[in-house]
Amino acid sequence: MSTTAPTPRASVPRTLDVSGTPKVPFTRTVSVELRKMLDTRAGFWLLAVSGLLLVVVAGIVMAVVLANDIGITANGWVQVMTVPLSLLLPIFAITSVTAEWSQRTGLVSFTLEPHRLKIIGAKLVAVVILVVATMALAVALGAVANLLYGAFSGNDVVWNVDGSAFFWTVVNQLLYFLMAFGLAMLILSTPASIAVYYVVSLLLPFMVYSAVYVLVSWGPDVLPWVDLGYAMAPLVGGGPTGPGGPGLEVTGTTYAQVAVATLIWVVLPMVLGGRRVMRTEIK
Amino acid sequence: MITVENLTKSYGGFTAVDDVSFTAEAGRVTGFLGPNGAGKTTTMRVMTGLTPPTRGSVTIGGHLYRDLPNPGRHVGVLLDASAQHAGRTGREVLTLGARTMGLPASRVDEMLALVSLDERESKRRIKNYSLGMRQRLGIAHALLGDPSVLILDEPANGLDPAGIRWMRGLLKSYADRGGAVLLSSHLLHEVEQIADEMILIGRGRIVARGTKAELLAVQGDGSTLVQAVDNDLLAKALVAAGHEVTAAGAGLSVSTQPAVVGQVALEAQVALVDLRATEGRGLEDLFLELTADTQREAPAGAPSAQPATPAHAAPQGGPR
Ligand SMILES: Nc1ncnc2c1ncn2[C@@H]1O[C@H](COP(=O)(O)OP(=O)(O)OP(=O)(O)O)[C@@H](O)[C@H]1O
Ligand SMILES: [Mg+2]
Repeated sequence: MSTTAPTPRASVPRTLDVSGTPKVPFTRTVSVELRKMLDTRAGFWLLAVSGLLLVVVAGIVMAVVLANDIGITANGWVQVMTVPLSLLLPIFAITSVTAEWSQRTGLVSFTLEPHRLKIIGAKLVAVVILVVATMALAVALGAVANLLYGAFSGNDVVWNVDGSAFFWTVVNQLLYFLMAFGLAMLILSTPASIAVYYVVSLLLPFMVYSAVYVLVSWGPDVLPWVDLGYAMAPLVGGGPTGPGGPGLEVTGTTYAQVAVATLIWVVLPMVLGGRRVMRTEIK
Repeated sequence: MITVENLTKSYGGFTAVDDVSFTAEAGRVTGFLGPNGAGKTTTMRVMTGLTPPTRGSVTIGGHLYRDLPNPGRHVGVLLDASAQHAGRTGREVLTLGARTMGLPASRVDEMLALVSLDERESKRRIKNYSLGMRQRLGIAHALLGDPSVLILDEPANGLDPAGIRWMRGLLKSYADRGGAVLLSSHLLHEVEQIADEMILIGRGRIVARGTKAELLAVQGDGSTLVQAVDNDLLAKALVAAGHEVTAAGAGLSVSTQPAVVGQVALEAQVALVDLRATEGRGLEDLFLELTADTQREAPAGAPSAQPATPAHAAPQGGPR
């Protein structure tokens, strides 16, 4: 059955010689965590539906743009393609953490690797890889869509991707995923984490903040400090109501607002959640 | 190999594990026995670093669990076979383990074959596994890294009789090749056949320990059951020789060893039909009795008013 039989009974060892066993390299832990994200049925469907959304959104935007004869540029396409990626994919960041508790796989994961921070770090890297890879896909699809738009409309194809706006779009995407990850560590339950994440990232901004922003006098002053989307809107080139709204000016305050909103929604959950993960009992 | 020293784990005011010390040695199967809620799983979770102890420590081969590099290669752990992602296949679970430990993919097939999960079953999702199949998968996972220490929480749970027999053989041969095996159970007969040593725990405290023989020895009361062709004649002879005699079923119960009774019968020239030592209470009875005040149901025949052997009179650390 086994290749290396335990030492024979004659010499009953009391100690375990571990000098010949190297530690599990971090890259291996990352590759296992990446695999764990995608190897369940839920993971498969999440990816499949996100891919479908990407194509559907591209199709709808193309139809609208062509029908109304609105010009669209490469920059516009990147913005458009980022939206479907930010809808469902953060669930990967959440379940990567919470499944260890909700599905109780932590019992195995944390016995194979008792250094919990190493597993959390590996999951974090896996999430970043996911964001980068899907953003690259969005850019590639955006380029294809841009070419098709040129072919369909007969207009000139404009390759005007603004380096700074693109950079901040990626950062924005990354911050939302990290927020999902931090909340997941803090809450450690799949349904509760998903609910809280969507309330904070989608429901509040669209249902509540958007009304507050236009109706309440202090809205435009306060919201950019407490909501990541509002804080980053000037940087990613969108208005207060998302891409398409009136452009906002980037000032020194903008960076301060991004920093504060990041502190509240990314750093704080990460730190508190990290502490919780380190201390909690795995059952 | 596994050394538990003065381990205590409290939850608020409740002490789940109370000053527990024992060792599980290499080359032996150590049974960890106790009723529901006795603290077996908690002890094992502390061993594997999943639960921080309140006091005391556990070392495995002289190391803290968290200091073991690639621990799956040294310690095989099965705490709860149901704790697996329902949406993963059995094969995938083993593959993840093998990759983490840096083992070749062929090891997965070896382990699947070892626990008799066939190709089709291995590709099913765990959601659709039967209890016994999950248990087999859990055992396969514990053995994956060819560890020299095994920590198994109720490994026989859900296995069919053939599976239980197979597992006994497996663990026995593992210990024979020098591995240290610690397995918990609340079913005594499951463990008594393979455990070289047993640790009995109740309400977080160790109530007795030793080999099966040692545990039973303390309990034997040295009396004899005898049946003769002429019981009355034998009874008279025994009483004359100074022994206490009471009627018991078709025969007599005598307060001395069988050899003495045989000698008396020989001298009285009474033919015997049956002669044997009073069966010491079985291990099962002993177990129920020792853990009586920690049981949920007072076991019949073990009046909890007299908790038999006080914890410290039990063969704690008796001769090996
Ligand atoms: N987090 C916790 N908070 C409070 N009590 C706990 C906690 N974890 C375990 N316990 C208690 O500790 C005791 C020991 O539980 P444990 O799971 O170790 O028992 P066990 O011996 O494995 O029982 P079983 O044979 O039923 O599996 C139980 O009374 C349990 O309720
Ligand atoms: Mg238990």
